[in-house]
Amino acid sequence: MKRAMIRIILLCMLAATLTGCAGGNSDSSTTAPKPVTITIWHDKEDAVADVLQKALDALAPDIAVKLEKKAGLTEALKMVGNDKNAAPDMYWFAHDKLGVYAEMGILAPIGDFIADEELADYIPMTLRAGMYKGTRYQMPLYFETLLFLYNRKYMKDADVPATTEALYGYMKRKTHGGHYGFVEQHSTAYYSAGWLHAFGTEVLNAQGQPHLDDENVINALTYHLKFVELMPDETEYATVNTLFREGMAHATLAGPWLVPTLREAGIDVGVAPMPVVDETGLPLAPYSGVQGLHVLKVHAREKKDAIMKVLTALLEPQIGTDLALVSACAPANGKCYGDERITSDAAGMEMRRTAETAVPMPNLPEMDVMWTVLGNLLTDVNMRGQDVAEAAAQAQRQAAQLIEAMR
Amino acid sequence: MTKRVRDSIGYSALNLFMAGACFLALLPVLYALSVSLSATNSLLSANFSLISRTVTFRHYAAVFTEKPVLVWFANSVTLAVFTVLISLAVAVPAAYVFSRRKFAGRRVILRILILLYSFPQVLSMLAIYKLLSTLGLINSRPGLIIVYTGTMAVFGLWNMKGYFDTIPMEIEEAARMDGCGDVRLVTRIVMPLAKPSIIVTAAMVLVFVWNEYLFAVTFLTGESTYTLAAGLYTLQATEMAGSWPVFAAASLLISLPILIIFFLAQRHIVSGLTAGGVKG
Amino acid sequence: MTSVQISANAYKRGKGTLVSYLVSAPSLILIAGVVVFPILYTAYISLTNMNVYHWFNYSFVGLVNYARALFVFNSGFLSALGVTVLWTIVNMAAQLIVAYVMAVLLNMPKLRLKNLYRTLLMFPWAMPGYVSILLWKTGMFNSQFGLLNRWMQDLGHASVRWLASDLGAFICCTVVNLWLALPFMIMIMDGALQSVDKSFQESALIDGANWLTRQTAVTLPSIRPIIGPAVIITVFTTFKQFDVVYLLIQQTGAKTGSHLHTILTYAYENAFIASNYGYSSAISVIIFLMLIAFSMLTRTRTKEGV
Repeated sequence: MKRAMIRIILLCMLAATLTGCAGGNSDSSTTAPKPVTITIWHDKEDAVADVLQKALDALAPDIAVKLEKKAGLTEALKMVGNDKNAAPDMYWFAHDKLGVYAEMGILAPIGDFIADEELADYIPMTLRAGMYKGTRYQMPLYFETLLFLYNRKYMKDADVPATTEALYGYMKRKTHGGHYGFVEQHSTAYYSAGWLHAFGTEVLNAQGQPHLDDENVINALTYHLKFVELMPDETEYATVNTLFREGMAHATLAGPWLVPTLREAGIDVGVAPMPVVDETGLPLAPYSGVQGLHVLKVHAREKKDAIMKVLTALLEPQIGTDLALVSACAPANGKCYGDERITSDAAGMEMRRTAETAVPMPNLPEMDVMWTVLGNLLTDVNMRGQDVAEAAAQAQRQAAQLIEAMR
Repeated sequence: MTKRVRDSIGYSALNLFMAGACFLALLPVLYALSVSLSATNSLLSANFSLISRTVTFRHYAAVFTEKPVLVWFANSVTLAVFTVLISLAVAVPAAYVFSRRKFAGRRVILRILILLYSFPQVLSMLAIYKLLSTLGLINSRPGLIIVYTGTMAVFGLWNMKGYFDTIPMEIEEAARMDGCGDVRLVTRIVMPLAKPSIIVTAAMVLVFVWNEYLFAVTFLTGESTYTLAAGLYTLQATEMAGSWPVFAAASLLISLPILIIFFLAQRHIVSGLTAGGVKG
Repeated sequence: MTSVQISANAYKRGKGTLVSYLVSAPSLILIAGVVVFPILYTAYISLTNMNVYHWFNYSFVGLVNYARALFVFNSGFLSALGVTVLWTIVNMAAQLIVAYVMAVLLNMPKLRLKNLYRTLLMFPWAMPGYVSILLWKTGMFNSQFGLLNRWMQDLGHASVRWLASDLGAFICCTVVNLWLALPFMIMIMDGALQSVDKSFQESALIDGANWLTRQTAVTLPSIRPIIGPAVIITVFTTFKQFDVVYLLIQQTGAKTGSHLHTILTYAYENAFIASNYGYSSAISVIIFLMLIAFSMLTRTRTKEGV
């Protein structure tokens, strides 16, 4: 019925559209007899993509792997996800969207290609991240977490605060005259979630229920507020990172991708463990993002062998190591940590340690709306001065309403 | 005071005012220019000043060497040329008949079109995808050209119909009396009279295509197919390592062709009516 | 252009309507495909339960989505609607006045550098919108590094969070929107002014007082029909403006603390992010109907001139 209706609408008005445009050379379909072409969509930087491309070129001539950079990848997948002509065979992205795609029914389980035993050496957190409703949908490659970075010019190694109260003391002493003791993207869900986790709470539970009006959330936000008061008024990426890069901030929470830029800017950057919240005894536990490959269902059956070979090739620690190094992240494969190049990388090793406490970003579809709701809550509390409990209750209502609206 | 003195004082003030207005219009652009020329890798900086102390052109060089900018440029030009030509080819005749012929349904269609135009296009993404995939035009330029032409068609029709309305019928009637044939009537009389409006419409379409990135990014895959705006968008969207000066340089470079075209088109936006000898 | 030539003769023979449709067919077909079809499709989806959980296997659910959508149209939505109307009025008024003045000045007969000015004034238009908005947000309004605050500090004032309050955000968004929209409006007005008799402009600088009267009595009415269509279209684009408000103050991850929302940013944040196409289509349709109602209201007002 509905298909017929689409056809009717389309046929009526669109068949004629062809006449409106002269010359349509649609050579877009990817018909490759042999070798089998495996198209992988990604949104990575060229240097990172090149490493994977080179590694997978070894599968030629049987398999031609084509890495295609796709901007707006997450939205595009929703549209073309099961379109035989337009969908890629795999995509390379963080794990946090896989719940949405799994529910949409466009993902093929990794278990169809790679047995779980093959992944025995992988860091457990990276494996957990790829599971949705008991099925694995991601082949992890590497992961990132936020790091506590400090500028050695101002903050000596011995001064690095082990606890949040020590950090607060440092901030009070050093924040003046345009300098900041510590800066972070204080009103941004991804960057501030670590504070909530340190109070033993989470944004969304495993059943996809929000609890933003939870007592621990309120405590965490209230406690966080005194830090925010000593930070700049802006929460966005550019401001916060520029302050640190220009030596105006002594310490920050930032992703590993910032480290090369900082070194280039001549900052003697140190990486330290996350401070522990005195009240709870738990360290700030940032979100972790696991980057990996996901297989789309559309061509999964006909290209099964080729996909299997691609995924198997990625088990090789060498590839994990190379990818981690070029992307400034930490390898997911435990075997990579035998490599001296990895163990000598301070940021990577700190992430390896943080992986023990870091919380993988929830991959539930519900999380899609939580980023916005939590961001709003943080903004209301930190930048608008709203009462914490009131704002939390309001955010909880909004979250519940939006999650309700998803069904 | 003589008229000349008063005039010259007036014009000096006017020039000053215009210079001020241009400065305001260019302020963010100057900012981008300054960032693109600065040696430090920063969009923001505590030491920022509009006039950079250390000037470098390496970011401009980087635009050309690190990204397939020339390919993007060629893609943009192709899309822009086809879209502008097709838009005019379909909109000029349509606008003309909508202005001149009082056929049944004319008013209703015009009114409905402008209402439909108010539907936010972002919301049409999924439907347009369905349309293109049915036609087998995903990831193809003809597909994008259809989307762009269709998007701008309402504007073209309305804008030029409005202009045709202001051209007195008498001119055409007089020409016809003089034995002017239809082809000559349209190419020699109507088109020249409508030139300002045609150029404004073409400019609008051109700018739209040149700066459009949402459809381009969604319906094209792979760096080699991008337009300049789409390429620039990805440059910014995947911004992690931070190359703001390169981004700023690229933004300015892609605006340049449009500005040159504007400058060259200025003298063609002269009055059609006064040229035709009839006062509005 | 041969089709036009056919039309002129055929019309007289009474086949005018058919020929007129044939001539405008390519244009109308394109519009049907790219503008009309998406609206019909959206209306169709709004009657289904297409969402993350029923992405491909969706089914008709009747008006359920419309019933649920009413929850979104709460007080928050109403204030967003109010803001949107105010936004449209303020922006259009400012745009028309400024563009008119600029166009008149650009048409002063002895202004020598006018083509240079014209080109420079078009610059904002030549840049992709999101780039400009980004430049404004970080380059101008940023409270740490923005140019405006740098100037404030140079003058001895404390730095200001321009985008933090609702009023401040409204003003800043208006400024940016004007900056983006004025080039087009100036161009339209400029083109229109050139097609009217220029003899009154000549004496403009001489009789200051009479000048204004002449503008309103003579020039303005004569350019009205020419600029009419462009103005109407701009009213709609202003009403449905999303990018300026979203990118400047409401972008997830870069909020400024202001609660300013237009109906589109409000609907985006309170419904669209739920990835429920049926539901958000219903909201789109309702907003669309509101736009139509709004345009009916304004139509009666502007009818006279347009």
